[in-house]
Amino acid sequence: MESLDWGQLPQQLVNGLQLGAIYALIALGYTMVYGVLKLINFAHGDVYMVGMYLAYYTAMQWFNREAMNPYVLLFLMLIISMVGCALLGLLIERVAYRPLRNAPRISVLITAIGVSLLLEHGGLLVFKTSPPPSIAQDVNVFSQTMDIFGVAVTQSRLVVFGVTVVLMFLLWYFVTQTQTGRAMRAVSHDFNTAALMGVNVSRIIGITFIIGSALAGAGGMMNATALGTPLTTFAGLLPGVKAFVAAVLGGIGNIPGAVVGGFIMGIAENLVVWGGLGGYKDAVAFVILIIILLLRPGGLFGSPVDKV
Amino acid sequence: MFHRTRFSGGALLAAAALAGILGCNPTGGSNGGKTANGGSEDPIKIGLIASLNGELKPWGEDSMRGAQLAVKEFNDAGGLNGRKVELIVEDTASRPEQGKTATEKLLNEDQVLAVLGEVASGITQPAAEVCQAAGVPIIAIGATRVDITEIGEYVFRACFTDNFQGAAMAKFAYEDLGLRRVAMLTDKKQPYSTGLSDIFRKAFESFGGTIVAEEFYEGGNIDFQAQLTNIKAKNPDGLFCSGYFNEVGPIARQREALGLNVKMVGGDGWDSRELIQSGGTGIIGGFFCNHYHNSEDRDEVRNFVEAFKKEYGNEPATAMGALGYDAATILLDAIKRAEKIDSKSIRDAISTTKDLKGVSGSLSIGPDRNAQKPALVLEVKKDDFEPYKQVPFFVFEG
Repeated sequence: MESLDWGQLPQQLVNGLQLGAIYALIALGYTMVYGVLKLINFAHGDVYMVGMYLAYYTAMQWFNREAMNPYVLLFLMLIISMVGCALLGLLIERVAYRPLRNAPRISVLITAIGVSLLLEHGGLLVFKTSPPPSIAQDVNVFSQTMDIFGVAVTQSRLVVFGVTVVLMFLLWYFVTQTQTGRAMRAVSHDFNTAALMGVNVSRIIGITFIIGSALAGAGGMMNATALGTPLTTFAGLLPGVKAFVAAVLGGIGNIPGAVVGGFIMGIAENLVVWGGLGGYKDAVAFVILIIILLLRPGGLFGSPVDKV
Repeated sequence: MFHRTRFSGGALLAAAALAGILGCNPTGGSNGGKTANGGSEDPIKIGLIASLNGELKPWGEDSMRGAQLAVKEFNDAGGLNGRKVELIVEDTASRPEQGKTATEKLLNEDQVLAVLGEVASGITQPAAEVCQAAGVPIIAIGATRVDITEIGEYVFRACFTDNFQGAAMAKFAYEDLGLRRVAMLTDKKQPYSTGLSDIFRKAFESFGGTIVAEEFYEGGNIDFQAQLTNIKAKNPDGLFCSGYFNEVGPIARQREALGLNVKMVGGDGWDSRELIQSGGTGIIGGFFCNHYHNSEDRDEVRNFVEAFKKEYGNEPATAMGALGYDAATILLDAIKRAEKIDSKSIRDAISTTKDLKGVSGSLSIGPDRNAQKPALVLEVKKDDFEPYKQVPFFVFEG
């Protein structure tokens, strides 16, 4: 192996932050649902995939993008992806998970895998997949690249990063500063007691799915637009797994943990490539998962009492 | 061209079950010494396997239409002294295991004398093994993987191999583009991509160039900034991307955003119009190797595109239309020249195919049963691919 090129380190760290922001967005959905339901929602990565497709259809088919203000279009894409995914998340919870509320946890887990397969393969019937479509470059009006102290930063990545941070701040505000957020923390802390204290648990669970799915939708829209990803119905699989690892890394059920975990995953991936092992980029996620499970099963921020 | 072999659990189970059933089938296998089907006035039956469903559908469908067009023209022109050729089509659904069962059906039930297909190497391989065992010739349409024709003397192909296209692009990059320091990006998950990168490296270095970096990714990745950052640090003058358009598009966009201003070069895995969409301005000015293009200035191409349009209402969307047509042309020519109408004689006639006028260039079958023909370098323009240069056939011993 050749020696490391230290001059490239700042660029790789910036790349990692940009990638990590998206992982963090998806990881939040995993961790929130786990917080209230103790369920690993395997369909979450596929909700992110649906977000990508909603953004694609909004930009390329449902609206005439030539006749529109590009900023309005981007905003519309973001809103439609978030709202569409929120509704999908709510639907999944109502149809697939709620009837199993009192079933053994393993049944719900298997149902989650079933929902994931349904979205991936059912999506083949609904979405354009062959050849894989992608969002045109001109939709992304933030395509210029800036040079900041020798580090190339694309405007769109900066916007993605900014939007992600804003969404996380809103989430933090919601969870810690509002009545509903307090109820959500109560449910996460003790499901049954919260119900006895008059918290409408079903409503809280629904809201959790809505928020988590909307964040995944936002991540899907931003990634598809900024990177020009060709879309398939399996596009959510790998990001979903990596975000799940990020959530476990931060301590599943812990919101700041998911964010930190996402950034660590993004940076780790880039550093592996920097170290000359690009072919093993995807393996990093699993190596990290194994190491956490061995050394700190609760994750970096996880502990039995401190959740959400 | 394609080597994707994606299995789903369900399909594997189904395939295993099918294999079990076929294993007990008393009529299966054993049609080695097959001769003419039926009396001399019955049509001559040949088969075609194609991905008419699944992810390879656009290519599979084109390959079928091309072959059907060639058979129709042959029959309209009087067939073989008045005797018609019948083309029986079976769907492989883009799956290797289905390629095997489809071929077995053609051989056992329909008793075809020869088989055409597939567009993907991964699906051609099991089909070719079935044909080789049964002594029925098969002409692969788009399978570029080198080892396909090594299966046996009954396996031919109508396209060039990855060895040739890798060497041809290295030659083009060195001589025509004047590149000397090239970086490579390889899809570690695809044997097609790793094989093409290997041969490109050998050929490019043998011409005197340097490969300054090789970075890897895996099919399905969407963020390539880390690899491109490494590559940029090596200051190359060209970037060879041996993978499929699915990843090359985002690579092109992100290369441009990162300020890595180099010429991009690639193989026939780039051949989809979606590349232009996903690559944006980053892919414009890139060059890749292909078999053929609808807008080439040759009579064979003009006639073919016109006939195809008349028959199906649109131009062939991929190069597989022309390759399907050419594979069928090789077979029909062999049927004309064969001493007898049986599988063995047709095989022998195919192996002596020489300077046949094909849509994708002049067709000769070499001693290794591969088509010896030129590669066409296409340039990516804003709205389409444009023929740039033909690289004549040459032998590169990797």
